[in-house]
Amino acid sequence: MSGLIHKLSHPALVRIAGIVIGAVFVVAGLAKIGDPETFAAQVHNFRLTPIVLENLVAVTLPWVELVAGTALILGMRRRAASWICAALMIFFTVAVAQAAARGLDFECGCFGKADSSTVGLKKLVENGVLSVVALIATLRR
Amino acid sequence: MRSTTKSENLLADLALLVGIGVVLGLGYNTLGLMEGADWGIAWKGVDQFGEFVETGETVAAVEDEPATGYVAVSDDPLAPPPLPDRQVPEIPDAGRPVKIELKAVKQLHAADAALFVDARETWEFDEGHIPGALSLPHEEVITDPERLEQIDTGGRPIVAYCGGGTCEVSLTLANELILTGHPRVAVYMGGFPEWVGAGYPVEGSGAGQ
Repeated sequence: MSGLIHKLSHPALVRIAGIVIGAVFVVAGLAKIGDPETFAAQVHNFRLTPIVLENLVAVTLPWVELVAGTALILGMRRRAASWICAALMIFFTVAVAQAAARGLDFECGCFGKADSSTVGLKKLVENGVLSVVALIATLRR
Repeated sequence: MRSTTKSENLLADLALLVGIGVVLGLGYNTLGLMEGADWGIAWKGVDQFGEFVETGETVAAVEDEPATGYVAVSDDPLAPPPLPDRQVPEIPDAGRPVKIELKAVKQLHAADAALFVDARETWEFDEGHIPGALSLPHEEVITDPERLEQIDTGGRPIVAYCGGGTCEVSLTLANELILTGHPRVAVYMGGFPEWVGAGYPVEGSGAGQ
């Protein structure tokens, strides 16, 4: 296990993982910033946030994604940015998993309106893979 | 000592990045809420169903009188257009989708007083749907507002439905329909399974099964 982590923490791999996950976050953030109303409805669908806070989450979360993603691509505050991306990615994965487990059937809103895929196994696998990439971006030797 | 400093730095950086994101988000939304800008949303979320007008209960008051739809009042071509039957439930222009229940749905359907739209996927629609419904697969139309704008309702309100239960794609579709210029839209949350369960007619390849 430690050998695998050592291999995965190769600086070049960590940097590439950071750029990939950073780009995903920038795209996801921008897509949501363009239409906060739709994103607020999508936040509502997950039933994880108190209703009064849903709009606040919809207003601020995409910007946090955008800032963290940009920082990760540019290599500024890289460690913190990678941890934010990893934490959010894991949170999104858990959110999709609980929604799917509860039988909820709605758009995930992962990329705002640009992504109309619904929560389900495919989205779960997609998020799982991105979570691993995000975690690789947090590694360092 | 060194690791403490590092973790302090990490925490400070985390707070900095999150803080910048939050401030930008709040600032951008404030700008959007200011006069003249067309983005920005209310600070507080509202329950999307909490403020809905329940049309189902209103309909229940006209017990067991079958809705007869539009009544022709005259053969005179110059006569004013027929008025809708009073027994047909009215879907109001509430600025957001309203909820509607089976009984009201059935009355609207029997009177042909609403356009039914099916938010499920095409194959589900093909297998079976409420007779006369229009297929608007949520995943296809959500990124194609023009298709929604072009829908001709014939002056009737719209009833959106999908797979029932917790299926919420019909709600998203209903919101989109309102945004694209259809003011009177109701969401039938019971959806197709409830309709079938009630023994009402079905159209589609699986209708005879």
